[in-house]
Amino acid sequence: MIIVKETTTTTYLQGQIVDENVEFTLVELSRVSGASEEELTLWVAEGVFEPKGERPQEWRFSGAALRRVQTAQRLAHDFQINAPGVALALDLLDEIDLLRSHVKRVRRT
Amino acid sequence: MKYKDYYEVLGLERSASQDDVKRSYRKLARKYHPDVSKHADAEDRFKELGEAYEVLKDPEKRAAYDRMGSDWRNGQEFQPPPNWDEGFEFSGAGNEAGEHADFHDIFEKMFGGARGARGAHPRQRPFDARGEDHHAKVLIDLEDAYRGAQRAISLQMPVVDPQGHVSLETRTLNVTIPKGIRAGQHLRLSGQGAAGATPETAGDLYLEIAFREHPRFHVDGRDVSLDLPVAPWEAALGAQVTVPTPDGSVEMTVPAGSAGGRRLRLKGKGIPANPPGDLYVILNIVLPPADSDAAKAAYDAMRQAFNFDPRAHFYR
Repeated sequence: MIIVKETTTTTYLQGQIVDENVEFTLVELSRVSGASEEELTLWVAEGVFEPKGERPQEWRFSGAALRRVQTAQRLAHDFQINAPGVALALDLLDEIDLLRSHVKRVRRT
Repeated sequence: MKYKDYYEVLGLERSASQDDVKRSYRKLARKYHPDVSKHADAEDRFKELGEAYEVLKDPEKRAAYDRMGSDWRNGQEFQPPPNWDEGFEFSGAGNEAGEHADFHDIFEKMFGGARGARGAHPRQRPFDARGEDHHAKVLIDLEDAYRGAQRAISLQMPVVDPQGHVSLETRTLNVTIPKGIRAGQHLRLSGQGAAGATPETAGDLYLEIAFREHPRFHVDGRDVSLDLPVAPWEAALGAQVTVPTPDGSVEMTVPAGSAGGRRLRLKGKGIPANPPGDLYVILNIVLPPADSDAAKAAYDAMRQAFNFDPRAHFYR
């Protein structure tokens, strides 16, 4: 008797967490987030994001900023908000997040 | 296909002016934008609004839509009358928006499909042979972030065929969830985005991580908290208790004289990121019921032992 043994191996994709250890150049961040380089430059001028480096060609954005950049991109496009408006909206959203987590904490105790 | 009342979606009368359409869309879009709203169905509502607006903001499309008549009800089975679009010349290519995926059937059928997925960015880059990056949101269990895990993740992607019809294609990826990942972070899978000119130039896939609601643990960034029921005597006299964490149990000391709601910190027992978060244990004092003679006697003994008025500060 011949025993045919079937084995299947599943390979699992190894991803990389996009955190502080990941850096994006202006060009890369534009590609990943869908925001144009011009928009990103305006947002940096507004202080929304603080890349390392002096000139735009030298800018390095922290991977941890990716989510915020995407939120900025969606808000800017969906509501046609200009750079100062995006800056304000993001600050307010941060504050709302903070307040919501406080409220949750208080409710639980 | 189901009829969809775009006027109802935008809360408008059929006689609404183009300005009304715009105003109403703007107002509702701000309310239901998924980045702003905490409504559970915000994402669906926002898509529905976008679809309705896409049609009603354009006088040509609006006229074509109006021609189907106003007797239809939302959700009613519906076939557009034959040649409903006869005599209409659509000036736009019909895909200038390029961002709203998952359009409703009626929209697909009437106004054509070819729209890029939101999150993939269809842009002209003639000199860039690199494939586009793709984005998706995935839900994982908190436990997976504590231990790391291997998960099969199903992603749905709108695919456009040569005739311009959109269908949803499901693709399953086996992904290693790295230990220490947090909600809001992205996991980058190299080369799993759109195909490029060569295999090396394929785009990346970014998975935005969120946690499923956990019945016991609440997550705040890298910190996790837990309500721990304790008996009054445990809080008053101190106790050694076993506390569950998303990765096994730990022993913890409840200090004597603890009040209800006290937050005790188990350093480094939050999400094992670098640096790791903390686990906060919130004491919840639970009273035993006075449901036997012995229990009643015990409460009575307490009453006599204490000169305690919980409302003492009320009338001072």
